[in-house]
Amino acid sequence: MLIDQSIFMATGTILVFLGIASISYSKNLVKSVMAFQVVVFGVNLALFAAGLGQISRPVGDTLVFMSILVGASAEAMGLAIVVTVFRKYGTLNPMEIRRLRG
Amino acid sequence: MYSELVPLLLSGALVATVAVALISSKVSTALIMLFYSSVILGTTFTLYGDSLVGLLQMITFAGAISVLLLTVILMTGQSELAIGVRRLAIYGVLASLAVAAASALAVFAGGEGSLALPSTDISLTVLSFIWQYREWDILILMTVFAAAMVGVTNLLSEAK
Repeated sequence: MLIDQSIFMATGTILVFLGIASISYSKNLVKSVMAFQVVVFGVNLALFAAGLGQISRPVGDTLVFMSILVGASAEAMGLAIVVTVFRKYGTLNPMEIRRLRG
Repeated sequence: MYSELVPLLLSGALVATVAVALISSKVSTALIMLFYSSVILGTTFTLYGDSLVGLLQMITFAGAISVLLLTVILMTGQSELAIGVRRLAIYGVLASLAVAAASALAVFAGGEGSLALPSTDISLTVLSFIWQYREWDILILMTVFAAAMVGVTNLLSEAK
């Protein structure tokens, strides 16, 4: 394994775990969507690193290409849901939204 | 020797900007730092010989998604704009310096040497296999993208 490859793989893993931890502890839905974006960044970097220096590098590049578009689409949907939730409940705190239910 | 510094600088700048974005209590600061991290990731892809993916990363995340995030922040009234904050400016300048140094090392010190696509017959076979099904791939992606855009438009539209 190349040095570059292992460094980028480790960075991608760190980003994924940072994003998941931030989603778990965030008290703002917009920050949660931003943390999801960080997870997408980590996945993209790990996929890119997996193809570095390999014969199957174009496969990794294509997967990154797909991951970027799917991640952007999912994030746009998430932001639209955030706006809808804000219009309905008047807050972006997930705890308060849960308390207001029922 | 210098080629090992390039991924370290890029990874350090990426992790630093993402950490500041996630730790920051202000949403606008997080948005600015995420913009920086998108640019750094796009630069990483470009420096390592994948300019198309790097360009797409910058256009999509540093362009479209950043504007969408900014719109949502303004719509929900959470825009404590952090323009003029010295600490934020220092983080941005440090990230920019790290990316600039990594780019210079990669271009002038041969950091890209180990990153070239291996020129074997097998790689050409894989390439031709992928390009053979390229239209279906792009069609599926565009369908997913269009469905997301329609969903966003419906969710953001006012109910009469």
